[in-house]
Amino acid sequence: MIRLDGIEVRFGDFTALKDINIHVREGEFYTFLGPSGCGKTTTLRTITGFIEPVKGTVTVKGKDLTHVPVEKRNIGMVFQNYALFPSMSVYENIAFGMRVKKVNKTDIDRRVKEMAAKVDLTDQQLVRKVAELSGGQQQRVAIARALVNNPEIICLDEPLSNLDAKLRVQLRGELKEMQRKFGITTVYVTHDQEEALTLSDCIAVFNKGFIEQIGTPNEIYSASKTEFVCNFIGDINKLAPATIAKINTQTVRSLNPEAATYVRLERIHVNEPHVQGRAVLPAKVAGAEYFGLYIKYLLDLEGQTLKCIDKNDGRQYLKSGDQVEVAIDPADLMVY
Amino acid sequence: MQAIKVPLKTRLARMTPGQMIMFGILAAIFIWFIMACMILPILNLLRTVFFEDGKLSVDAFQKLLKSPRAMKALRNSFILAPTLSITVGFVGISLVLITEYFDIKGSKILRLGYLTTLIYGGVTLVSGYKFIYSNTGVLTNLMASIFPNMNRNWFTGYWAVLFVMTFSCTSNHMIFLRNAMRSVDFQTVEAARNMGASQWYILRRVVLPVLLPSLFAVTILTFITGLCAMSAPLLVGGKDFQTINPMIKQFADMTTTSAKSLSATLSLVLGLATMLLLAILTAIERRGHYMSVSKVKTKIVKQKITNPVVNVLVHIYAYVLFVIYVIPVVLIVLFSFSDSAHIQMRQLDFSTFSLQNYVQLLSQNTAYRPFVVSIVYSALASIIVGVLVIVACRYIQKRRNSVSATALEYSLMLPWLLPSTMIALSLMLAFNQPRWYMFNQPLIATLQLLLIGYIIVKLPFTMRMTKAAFFGLDDALEDASRNLGASSLYTFRRVIFPVLLPTVLAIAALNFNGLLTDYDISAFLHHPANPTLGVKIKSLTEEMGNSSDGVALTFVYAVLMMIISAVVLYLVYGRGSRDDLKG
Repeated sequence: MIRLDGIEVRFGDFTALKDINIHVREGEFYTFLGPSGCGKTTTLRTITGFIEPVKGTVTVKGKDLTHVPVEKRNIGMVFQNYALFPSMSVYENIAFGMRVKKVNKTDIDRRVKEMAAKVDLTDQQLVRKVAELSGGQQQRVAIARALVNNPEIICLDEPLSNLDAKLRVQLRGELKEMQRKFGITTVYVTHDQEEALTLSDCIAVFNKGFIEQIGTPNEIYSASKTEFVCNFIGDINKLAPATIAKINTQTVRSLNPEAATYVRLERIHVNEPHVQGRAVLPAKVAGAEYFGLYIKYLLDLEGQTLKCIDKNDGRQYLKSGDQVEVAIDPADLMVY
Repeated sequence: MQAIKVPLKTRLARMTPGQMIMFGILAAIFIWFIMACMILPILNLLRTVFFEDGKLSVDAFQKLLKSPRAMKALRNSFILAPTLSITVGFVGISLVLITEYFDIKGSKILRLGYLTTLIYGGVTLVSGYKFIYSNTGVLTNLMASIFPNMNRNWFTGYWAVLFVMTFSCTSNHMIFLRNAMRSVDFQTVEAARNMGASQWYILRRVVLPVLLPSLFAVTILTFITGLCAMSAPLLVGGKDFQTINPMIKQFADMTTTSAKSLSATLSLVLGLATMLLLAILTAIERRGHYMSVSKVKTKIVKQKITNPVVNVLVHIYAYVLFVIYVIPVVLIVLFSFSDSAHIQMRQLDFSTFSLQNYVQLLSQNTAYRPFVVSIVYSALASIIVGVLVIVACRYIQKRRNSVSATALEYSLMLPWLLPSTMIALSLMLAFNQPRWYMFNQPLIATLQLLLIGYIIVKLPFTMRMTKAAFFGLDDALEDASRNLGASSLYTFRRVIFPVLLPTVLAIAALNFNGLLTDYDISAFLHHPANPTLGVKIKSLTEEMGNSSDGVALTFVYAVLMMIISAVVLYLVYGRGSRDDLKG
């Protein structure tokens, strides 16, 4: 559906994007994830046409759009601040694109009302000024405004970043639900890994203008291709050479103690029945953070501190100073 | 901090004797100043209009209707104001679009040129335009050498006034409308493009609607400026195009009572029109500006005009405007170094350049005196206004919502509603004889009278800005200081005042700037032996056609004034907004 081939973008002397290759399939929810300044928004703006690359091509359904102006692309966009027109009512905002295209009035009216119903905006809300709406309602207006023009693709630039935590989670659900309902190809930009993991069919992790990894949420999380990706996504432990050496003595795999080796928190098993192939190491509980749903323990393995989480299922509740057994499966280790 | 309402009686009872004496003195000063210098003179002006020989009458209005000169002036003003609103609106909007919205080559230089009216306005500007366009002006000479049969007196009357004022009244646009443009959320422009809107469509439907409230406001201010025009019609209006204010001045200078009452009636008409317009302005302001819903705004990226023909035309237009703005300034600076013979011939000869005119200004009493007079008056008035308003604001802050605080605030804002000529005239009519409330001292032809006038006209602006600064203060500062045991006065002196000081100084500097070139009030109230700079420049400009050494002086005054204004504006705005200038 969308293909970026060898995209390079420069701002003056600064190379913002280098050799970006992305393929978004029809109906897919595709996320660009990365820290601020990594190039994810720049890539999105290259797709929508606000930025023209110095190298490479943007094609949509086989058609080369690289030098087609923004207004001719028919790619819907939801902006970080929503960019709702403050001088217009909600209705006028949604109708804007159709007015530009000089669609006749009855059609505009019908389509605005239909779209409003789909995104749960009432008739009373349609006549309001945008400043009178809540954050969640504003987001729905922004989405309705983009979708009402029947774009083949919709691009969302951190649309949840300005909302408070609770609303963010709620709207995340609504957003996914809407995408499913409309079946529209979606490109989504975020720096929030949780958002990326829960929403996406496919994720591209950006860093300093390059793509580090492209994959499904599970591939990105459980089989991070680079050290950057495994550190950026989720919480993780880096194993000390001495710990790796100890694991080597108990298992058939021989790991290089000098390599950067990581293990996820939930792959460290505390006081569990022994399983074939796992290395078992003694440790002491050094501290705990109580989250309710789970408990995060800090374990001391003779100089190496490991974080792990334990489901709060009533099986065990450890206190600082308790001696425990830690089991690690070498297959769970990510080595770089 | 919620102000606790304590009745005045209880507060007085709690005061120490020293505090009570101070409170009494301050209260007396404010009540006397407001009554004797503002309320009673205005009432006296109304009496001049409505009472004749102690009886209520509307004769004054009939006289006004019968006076062809006065009626013509009224008509002229009501022609000038709306047309000026349109021309200034057009030029003002284009200035803002050229400097802030479109991608125009050299926009930084253009902006500097367009901003010249901030340091060069009023009577000085009219005088500069006259030097270029009048019958012996630089441009007129140039054109006459090409078209020998042209009418050399082309630059006079309605069109000349409209032209001069169109370019001198864009300051408000350059300040307020530019700010509004800068606060446009650029993501809305991108969103509109994304939905397929053309450049012109975006400008018309997305950008301009957001500017509309500010545009309304500056248009009304322009309308009022047009109604209250004074130096432009006086200097380039000629016989046929005099407006209300010059007429008020002319009638006021006559000795007969009927002329004086005619003058008062005209000023009342002007006052009522101003009040009506300000009421509309307030209503617009109350309706509020469009609040952008964005939490983080995206800065405007200059829009390149896509149509190449339009792009070239807009560039040409931008630079023509630039030339119109900059040429008078450049010529004034250059001619200020020239000798009077060359000024007379309107010829620039760099070999004759010298500092002679500047030396003359500094060495001749008659030459530097107006300058000193204006500086002293402006400085004194700015300081006194500042002090009065700070004291008043502190009282209003402490006694929020009390009757006395509200009364004080409204009284000090009162001059905002009245044209400055009306205030000046009311002072002139009130104090041409001894009044008990002025301790039986006639003030006409005294040095104090102009000072009082200056103080009054600067009260509202100072009040508005200072009050905003006071209310922008974090109340916790005061609470903390009191909590640590400081008295109210000590808290004010050591905590609040130092925080406010930069704002207070900035306001004083702006007031000083505004008064330095004042003509409108000085014309009525100046001391005969001590004319102010504005008065002096005006009389020198009138002599421009004749052979007189004075013309060179005008340029030196203008140059010095521009320097002072530029320095003041830099100190007030320049350093703080450097980041904006970068963008």
